[in-house]
Amino acid sequence: MKNWILPALFVLWNMDAIAASTGSETPGTLQAAKELGRQKSRFLKGNATSVQAAEGPLSANRADFEKVVGPLLTQSCVGCHGPKKAEGKIRLDQLNPDLLNGPDAERWRKVYNALNKEEMPPEDSTDYKPTAADRANVVQWLGEELRKAAVAHRTSKDHSSFRRLTKYEYEYALEDLLGFKVSFASKLPPETVSEDGFKNRSDLLQISAMQFQSYREIALQALKRATVRGERPEPVTYVVAMSEQMPKLAALKSSKVFEKDDPKSKTFNEQHLWNRQTGQMILPAPVAVAPQNKVAFGQNPPVSPEVWALPQSAQMILNLDRFLPDDGVMRIRIRAGRSTMNPNEYASLRLSLSAHTSNNANFSQVVSARDLPVTASIENPQFIEFDVPLSDIQRNPFRKQTTPFPRRDEFLRIQNIANSAANVAAGEERLKVLIDYVEITAPHYEQWPPKTHTDIFFESKNKGNEQIYGREVLGRFLRRVWRRPAEPSELDAFMGFFAKVRPSVESFEDAMVEVLSTALASPEFLYLTTRQTAEGAKSHQNRISDLEFASRLSVFLWSSIPDEELLQLAEKGKLREPTTLAAQVRRMLEDPRSKRFSRQFADQWLGLDRINNVNHLKNEDLRAAMLEEPVAFFDEVLRQNASVMDFLDSDYAMLNERLAAHYGIGTPKVYGPHFRRVPLSPRSNRGGVLTNAAALTINSDGKDSHPVKRGVWLLQRVLHDPPPPPPPNVPEVDLTDPRILKMTLKERIENHRNQAACASCHSRIDPWGIAFENFDALGAYRTSVNNQPVDATSDLFSRQRLAGIDGLKHYLLTERQDQFAQAMVQKLMAYALGRPLTLGDSPDIEKLTAQLRQKNDRLGDLVHLIVGSDLFQSLD
Amino acid sequence: MTPNSLLLSRRTFLRGTGLALDLPWFETFARAAGTRNDTPKRFLSVYHPDGVGLPLKSDPAWEDWSWFPRGGEKDFVLTKVLDVLEPLRSEITVYSGLSHPASRNVHGHSNGDVYLTGAAIPGEGVYKNSISVDQLYAEQVGELTRHASLVMSTNGGTGAPRGAQTQSFNREGRPIPAMNKPRQIFEMLFVTSSKEAAARLARSKSALDLLIENTRSLKRQLSKRDQETLEHYLDAVRDTEVKLTKAQKWIDMPVPRVDTSNLHLDAEPKEARLYFQTMYELIYLAFLSDSTRVATFQLGRENGEGPHDLLSLAVGLPGAHGLTHAVKKPGGWQNLGTYNRYQAEEFGRFVQKLKDTKEPSGNGNMLDNTFAMHGSASSSFHLSRNYPIISAGGKNLGFKNGRYLKFGKGNEDNQAGAGIVSDVGWTGKMQVEELPLSNLFVTVLQRLGVETDSFGGFTGTLSRV
Repeated sequence: MKNWILPALFVLWNMDAIAASTGSETPGTLQAAKELGRQKSRFLKGNATSVQAAEGPLSANRADFEKVVGPLLTQSCVGCHGPKKAEGKIRLDQLNPDLLNGPDAERWRKVYNALNKEEMPPEDSTDYKPTAADRANVVQWLGEELRKAAVAHRTSKDHSSFRRLTKYEYEYALEDLLGFKVSFASKLPPETVSEDGFKNRSDLLQISAMQFQSYREIALQALKRATVRGERPEPVTYVVAMSEQMPKLAALKSSKVFEKDDPKSKTFNEQHLWNRQTGQMILPAPVAVAPQNKVAFGQNPPVSPEVWALPQSAQMILNLDRFLPDDGVMRIRIRAGRSTMNPNEYASLRLSLSAHTSNNANFSQVVSARDLPVTASIENPQFIEFDVPLSDIQRNPFRKQTTPFPRRDEFLRIQNIANSAANVAAGEERLKVLIDYVEITAPHYEQWPPKTHTDIFFESKNKGNEQIYGREVLGRFLRRVWRRPAEPSELDAFMGFFAKVRPSVESFEDAMVEVLSTALASPEFLYLTTRQTAEGAKSHQNRISDLEFASRLSVFLWSSIPDEELLQLAEKGKLREPTTLAAQVRRMLEDPRSKRFSRQFADQWLGLDRINNVNHLKNEDLRAAMLEEPVAFFDEVLRQNASVMDFLDSDYAMLNERLAAHYGIGTPKVYGPHFRRVPLSPRSNRGGVLTNAAALTINSDGKDSHPVKRGVWLLQRVLHDPPPPPPPNVPEVDLTDPRILKMTLKERIENHRNQAACASCHSRIDPWGIAFENFDALGAYRTSVNNQPVDATSDLFSRQRLAGIDGLKHYLLTERQDQFAQAMVQKLMAYALGRPLTLGDSPDIEKLTAQLRQKNDRLGDLVHLIVGSDLFQSLD
Repeated sequence: MTPNSLLLSRRTFLRGTGLALDLPWFETFARAAGTRNDTPKRFLSVYHPDGVGLPLKSDPAWEDWSWFPRGGEKDFVLTKVLDVLEPLRSEITVYSGLSHPASRNVHGHSNGDVYLTGAAIPGEGVYKNSISVDQLYAEQVGELTRHASLVMSTNGGTGAPRGAQTQSFNREGRPIPAMNKPRQIFEMLFVTSSKEAAARLARSKSALDLLIENTRSLKRQLSKRDQETLEHYLDAVRDTEVKLTKAQKWIDMPVPRVDTSNLHLDAEPKEARLYFQTMYELIYLAFLSDSTRVATFQLGRENGEGPHDLLSLAVGLPGAHGLTHAVKKPGGWQNLGTYNRYQAEEFGRFVQKLKDTKEPSGNGNMLDNTFAMHGSASSSFHLSRNYPIISAGGKNLGFKNGRYLKFGKGNEDNQAGAGIVSDVGWTGKMQVEELPLSNLFVTVLQRLGVETDSFGGFTGTLSRV
């Protein structure tokens, strides 16, 4: 059965809310608009929460249709939407007036919206204009019939939350299960994205044989990596102390040595060795280091005056020759400090591995997961540690050859990633990172066997008996993988498989790895189940089990499987006790895993993925910063339990140095790559997510802003009121026409809109987008385009004037708060359930929106409301 | 030594390396695999590094030693470099004006890696390759044969990033190690029957049985609608089972018996002629026995050094790579041309052999059902443009041969970048128009039966092919 995507239905039970919007208020501050808009909320006026699904049998009201509504439609609408014209492909004369049982409820909803917002009949067709009373009659009848239809659809099973884990959920689940990031899981195909942006929609998550095979391969490979056999391997360890390197290099003929007073030494912008006591400097070539036998890793020798100095972007290059092992983790400890402590300057370290095997055959790859900041002074330096999984990175393929050519060596590069020179006054000394000591070891294990191994093959008195111990290992593993205890018969089946495998492999562990990897390809790991239990069916509870609820909860807030605490509470049947549940949700939101929720939801809600396909964005730092801003902002609103209205406008932003520079925000100064909360002045033109560079950039056309895309984005993503898709054969704007070529962008759009075929949709889209015209294709603020002043004013269909971004925000805050609040509930609920919402869900959405508004629109509270709602607990 | 004396007559050749497949086996095979009515479609790509000779028209060597033919589509004249292919004229197509757009300003020596992938890899720094055209086809037909593909090179292994020693890359863009020892290749094809593979297969089958059973018990507890969703999972498991069953057939079937008395399985690249011919012979045998339908073969590596650069010894010339640097020395163009001529000659010998062998299913000869291409990712000195490409065969796939197909605009006489021996050439701005080589790959893939309209980020086929 067809699923409906349900656009904002907030007008459904209250038809006079919008009609009041005439825009007559004098614009004050946005804060004042927020307060004013809140006062207008219908949800805060007395009886709003009493919306309940009516009990008892429902029937369509045909009598009123035949008597009143039908004749009115014939008189006012069928002229254009009937057998003669069928404008917009809508034939009102053919719609089935039985909304409960007929197939046209969704079409009627559109009719209802058009009439209720007074978009139809159009302004200029005075012949058809109905009286206010006639319009109210039709609207009232339709509103009631739609409400009944919603209730009727609520009980029909045309949707389900039973679905496969998404690619990212699968990756996180493996990570939480096995204790390390399984990088090769990325070979799974990407998910289909729904029209409203979500990747976790039950009806779109498919599976193919190729994908199934990938699951099996990934699981086998991951379990092999998690577990070990035999004795601890002897690590290869390098110790690089500058106190030893400096005299050695000074003696080399190829080194350039400068003494303290040499004027040239002052101007070094390259890496160099430096004796902080004597002032001697050496410009070195890459330093070849050899592994040392039996050397202890994790030393902390006295700080030496000899240091390796790294100005911005400079690298320390260590030639590690060909001795790094193939597998395991390489741990690198770097003792580093800053040469100056100017708070305007920021420095961090990044690692790369490179090789130059022969002419034109070279590579260099960043191997550190992220840049780590250097904050200590060189007088009191810090150790900075990196872990690099050696089997995941590009290695020199010739490293094991017996002949020296092609070259077999591998280079570790330690680079200083710092902020721009503009932060230092002229003549002032620039920050360098100083390194006096480096240790490298591989493979590195904190313990032997490693924790990833003992988590699976734990200590047991039964270790000597493969059958008994195997069953123990399997039982514990299956409980986490399936998020429920396994039945004895299921254990039998898997142990039967063990018995078949065991003779063909070397060790007990090898056989178990085969068995456990099969569990990781089983449906109960890959899918979120919604079992129909016999008791549930009897009691008509329609609720998922406690254990399935634990999974739904953890996938919602952690994008992963539940942890031990959630499982135990669910097994005891306590998880859904209100105080326990509230405490668990708080705990989950405090856990770092909840960052995944912020990342995934913000990313999907706003469509941020598209930033990776934007060609006009060349700067990778800016791209990364753009991508992070809305995520950090959502995270901030969530953690502060702030109002969702902050998404429309806020007096703060989440910024890093790169983005603050892009926005021209100079005070307060923002330094470094990490995101933090920055207060905004009222004239900053920022605040909320509408003006995030990412949103503005993805809705540009590569050269300039794209008001139509921006308008559609606002309607679809923010207001949850998507316009219909463009019809086939849309006439393109004809740029060969010299008249059109001369026009400004806004004029072109208006010209396009004036064409009859385009007007009906574009008059509802374009004005929203034009309000963003002060932002260019990368979201930077501008006051002129091509030497002409920017014109960002436009009139909505309702003749409401929007004056630029502030005007737009004013309007949304004063007139559309209810709609936006409801949109947020819709989006979060659709994400939480992993299925499209349908007409039948609207009473619940309505109720939750009222509760949200009564709780001052707080996002954190909304998460609690959703988790506690009937919808989130129900089977379908 | 004149170039013509290098030509062995066909009869000499057949006597020289003659081998025989055990034909009764062949019929058994055809019956078992059910392929009698299903003629295999094969793909081969041979890659040679360092490009070809491209003298300026004003150079006296132009007439004889410029690699590209002269003249039009049908009336083209092969120069001395390719005249060894004259007897096969109606079976080959020569192309000009094709290259990978992302590589056009990358040094020719860094480009062998992307010849079959078209990946956008810059000249240095981060390196991320993508699937090669042969492997894309192997994904589709790999399970029909014992080996999904045969990946060979003279150097073997993967080589380094930007210095590949293999032409084949998997879906994740990782290099597939090439085999370079004839004996190993032979044993893989015709001797080994893997116990470990059989055990692995048995494990997989038991695992699938277990999962199906496990899924059924879950299914009973779901709503009707959710059961349908779960059915998709079961379909995926069952499809995998079908694949395993096909693989089982190969494991159970005895390897084809081949008479090795005339095969020089211990030939080394230093013995260029023998080695070269043995490698081609192995491809021929692999195709004939339908052990695989996909093969790649890389001669040497870009910027070649060491023993593998000595294939040119076959025509009495020193290091092959050095020939491209010495074209302005006396006899330079001729030397490079002579070496390229030798490569074409060996390719031609292989093509002729396919042509002379009846397709076991009876559908024409083997060449008619094989698309074999031969080329390089650079033309003139380090210049990653206007790739010199020859293809042969594929009549039954829809290829019309006997043509010289010029693509692009502004370089009809192949003079852009000609005669250059400095790096000004490859760094210089592109002045003429060329078409993406990926367009040819899309055409080839479609004719091999792969449903795709794009490759390596480029959509569309090549017209006229």
